[in-house]
Amino acid sequence: MTKYVIRRVVQAIPVIIGITIVTYALMLAAPGGPQQKFAQNPRITNEQRQKFLEAWGLLEPIPVQYGRWMGILNPKADGLAALIGPTGWPNFLPTPISGSDNGVLHGDLGYSIDSGDLVGARIIRAALPTAILASVALFVWLTIAILLGVFAAIKRYSIFDQFATIFAYVGFAMPTFWLGLMLIFQFGVAWKILPVSGMTDIRVSPPFGSDAYWVYFGKNPVASVLDIGRHLILPVVTLVVVNIAGDSRFIRASMLETLGQDYVRTAKAKGLPGRVVTFKHALRNALLPVVTNIGLEIPFLFTGAIVTETIFSWPGIGKLTIDSINQSDYTINMGILLITSSLVVVANLIADVAYAFVDPRIKY
Amino acid sequence: MAHEPDREGSTMSPSQPNSTPAPAEAEDYEINLQSLGQMELVWRKFRQHHLALIGVGILFVIFAAAIFGPIFLPYAVDNIPRPDKIAYAGNPPSLKHPMGETGGLQWDVLTLVVNGARTSLLIGFSSMIIGVTIGTVVGAISGFVGGFVDNLLMRIVDVMLSLPLLFVILVIARFFKDNRDNVWQIIIIFGLFSWMGVSRLVRSLFLSIREREFVEAAKAVGVSDRRIIFRHILPNAISPIVVAASLIVAGNIIGEAFVSFLGFGVNPYTPTWGNILSNARTFLLVGNWWWPAFPGLAIVLTVLAVNFIGDGLRDAFDPRSRA
Amino acid sequence: MTETLAAHAPIGAPPPRDVLLEVRNLRTTFKVLDGIVPAVDGISFSLKRGQTLGIVGESGSGKSVTALTIMRLLDIPPATVGEGSEVWFDGREILSMPLEEMRKIRGSEMAMIFQEPLTSLNPVFTIGDQIAEQVALHQRLGKKAAMARAVESLALVGIPSPERRVKQYPHEMSGGMRQRVMIAMALSCDPKLIIADEPTTALDVTIQAQILELLKDIQQRTGSALLLITHDLGVVAEMVDNVIVMYTGEIVESGSVTDVLLEPRAPYTMGLLESIPSVEKRGGRLSAIKGVVPSPFNLPPACRFEPRCPYAWDRCRTVAPDLARTTGDTHLARCHLHTPEGAGRLPGALEHHRTAMHVGRTLPTEQR
Repeated sequence: MTKYVIRRVVQAIPVIIGITIVTYALMLAAPGGPQQKFAQNPRITNEQRQKFLEAWGLLEPIPVQYGRWMGILNPKADGLAALIGPTGWPNFLPTPISGSDNGVLHGDLGYSIDSGDLVGARIIRAALPTAILASVALFVWLTIAILLGVFAAIKRYSIFDQFATIFAYVGFAMPTFWLGLMLIFQFGVAWKILPVSGMTDIRVSPPFGSDAYWVYFGKNPVASVLDIGRHLILPVVTLVVVNIAGDSRFIRASMLETLGQDYVRTAKAKGLPGRVVTFKHALRNALLPVVTNIGLEIPFLFTGAIVTETIFSWPGIGKLTIDSINQSDYTINMGILLITSSLVVVANLIADVAYAFVDPRIKY
Repeated sequence: MAHEPDREGSTMSPSQPNSTPAPAEAEDYEINLQSLGQMELVWRKFRQHHLALIGVGILFVIFAAAIFGPIFLPYAVDNIPRPDKIAYAGNPPSLKHPMGETGGLQWDVLTLVVNGARTSLLIGFSSMIIGVTIGTVVGAISGFVGGFVDNLLMRIVDVMLSLPLLFVILVIARFFKDNRDNVWQIIIIFGLFSWMGVSRLVRSLFLSIREREFVEAAKAVGVSDRRIIFRHILPNAISPIVVAASLIVAGNIIGEAFVSFLGFGVNPYTPTWGNILSNARTFLLVGNWWWPAFPGLAIVLTVLAVNFIGDGLRDAFDPRSRA
Repeated sequence: MTETLAAHAPIGAPPPRDVLLEVRNLRTTFKVLDGIVPAVDGISFSLKRGQTLGIVGESGSGKSVTALTIMRLLDIPPATVGEGSEVWFDGREILSMPLEEMRKIRGSEMAMIFQEPLTSLNPVFTIGDQIAEQVALHQRLGKKAAMARAVESLALVGIPSPERRVKQYPHEMSGGMRQRVMIAMALSCDPKLIIADEPTTALDVTIQAQILELLKDIQQRTGSALLLITHDLGVVAEMVDNVIVMYTGEIVESGSVTDVLLEPRAPYTMGLLESIPSVEKRGGRLSAIKGVVPSPFNLPPACRFEPRCPYAWDRCRTVAPDLARTTGDTHLARCHLHTPEGAGRLPGALEHHRTAMHVGRTLPTEQR
């Protein structure tokens, strides 16, 4: 088992390296990067621009820039000496050993071009709202998907199954943002019963994440949680309706397949009651492939979150993404792209390992 | 079940025992099922798939609207009507404007939707063709050549599948945001990011089909690689590719709408379903629901139809399914 | 998952007490793409307590469907059990009984062993769990007692160190061991009837003999009745008292195992026996039944074996034969050779069969 985990981790490394290269290349090619940042500004002289580029290390050869961004090269040294960190150990090793603290490998994603903030800090600040939204959505989504899928499979071709089928097809075909818009209109504009924007009620509470907010939260914890809960309803419904469709179908198909297996027939032949046959013998097997599928779906949750957050002005990663693209804040883009892609790789890895845990047949 | 008739058809000649004369009518009892051609069988099963037929119907109507709608409708998108009375919130659906009029410039929503259909369908289907072509070529090379090339290509696929694609597309699409007519650029971007699934599929088909007897037999009699690929392997790979293609069309229609909705897609002056929704967004708050509702419904119906057809094709191609 | 059967209107009288299982006019059909397939087409037989009965036939002859219908394990639809079909088990008609009651019979009074032990055991539970679950359900035992019973059953079927084995998963065992587990599971509640559907087909030849020996031994020790379904005449010869030969959903011959195997009277049974290779036939031409099993959609109008039958004549194409008495009251065959019209042809047919068999060839039964 340990061997298998190690092998999977080793396999993931080239993929993550590939991701860093793609990320860097993409941003390098991006128009509106720092090279052009002051091109149109008449008040900035050529000399000043040159100085800026030099200060940011943008005049170095591209592999050197990449090496520095990654933290393989020490920016304070030149040539091959740059490979060695301040303590004499290779620069890419963790900070306590190499003494170096620059670059992705040391957890340093650089500074925002636009605001000068630390990229890591900006992303962490935006991650909490996204984590809240995504985890609530994931929980609701999985619960409903499993229930829908299992009952649709048991009551195959019943009215319930057909209703679930139609729901799944329509949900699957529905663009997230359109559903979001329609929900905003219905619940926020026409009925005015649910908040349609933000994470907290700005009339009573400070903006989420600020220091003042946490003071307010400490004073009114229940009201704050309820407030966030109310704001969560529409974004969660939007994410769930769109994502649930594929999963409930998948679980239904998986369940139908297991219901046709010989061991289900054996379970019936043993005289077990229907619910034991279904919920013990069949469901346990039917959920095995679902474990992997969930790992593969996490990126969709993220892209779904980008648009959901934009529509509902949820102050998370999605909103940060759109804002940073709009402002050509490419270091932030790189950070988000890198972190989310790596999360996908890690999620897949966890899904594979989890699969090995839940299926006794798999031995590595 | 063991009770299914032999679909492959039997070429077994009617053989009668020697001890008794074989009367002519005895042949009636022999298995003499006609060998149904594969395509014929697929078509037969597809026809019985009600949802797939509904999908074909919906898609037909939407295509007809996209092709003929802009020609026959009395309004045009680039010709802004000058209404007698400005209604900021637009006008709800009426006989004259079955999908209502937008707020602000007071376009006819139906006109927008059918014009948007042209671009959105063009993007969905063209990018699918690009994606499927790239995916098939990459998958075929990977599966047929194997070894290092296979490894390299599949690692590239792994990397691309790990990226949050819509995010990457957003970033790239932004490069072309300011071009006046960037529809083809958007098509190419979507094409370049929708081949990975197909390539994995084609590769695995190549790997499995390559081992099957008929390909081994072809190799054994000295058939060239190219001929094996085009005559023996690809025809067998067509069915899953077609099904995957339907998913790509659906995904890219939604994807384009998403990117355009966020303002990074097709130039806002060109109507696409995403652009219409993007423009409609602010007017929603003044109660103008018909502006976003109808283009959204058009997306839902199109994607629904494509998915129905994809499902029908999958079932029809699946030799185990019995309609 | 729908498992309800239409209640059958008139139910006949129960069979005598010594008859454990009586099947009357059983008809099971399947709805498929091209129409309705009669998988079992009006068969009747009975099995006395403690006795053994073999059902023999090629795949598609309806023998497995018969077993599944008796256990009421077929999904309805696509399967349908015909009007007037009756299955009496231990004095009760089980086709019309509520499913809840049938469930109590399954696994406790009537147990089934399936062909493929690997797929028939649930891969994600230990075999101990799977046996104990059944015991706990039917004998209302606690978890511990049920597990002890599981260990006991495993020991009974000759699995070494059963205490350790109960904690294993099916994939950790060999094919033969898995089939022993299936048998242990079937035995765990002391059933009155064991239905074994091709219990050795998926196993290696050397293991087959062991499993058959075990089944026979268990059957004799516990005194339960055994309904053995197989395509292998050799297995039948070794294992059962009586035998039924099925072809396209019908019984074509039935009788004691010695009658049917030594004195076959249906041309189909003759053909099956002739096609068994043996040392005596070395060098000679091995006969096989000509042609293939007809499609269920295109059955011959009268005798269903007629197109493949070496003895068929005009009558066989116009009149469907009934099961007729042959060498004795209990030995029946579905063939016109045993009617007055065919009497003249019978000696020639038997002679032809004897030649094909290479006179003097020994059957496994004779070796005992």
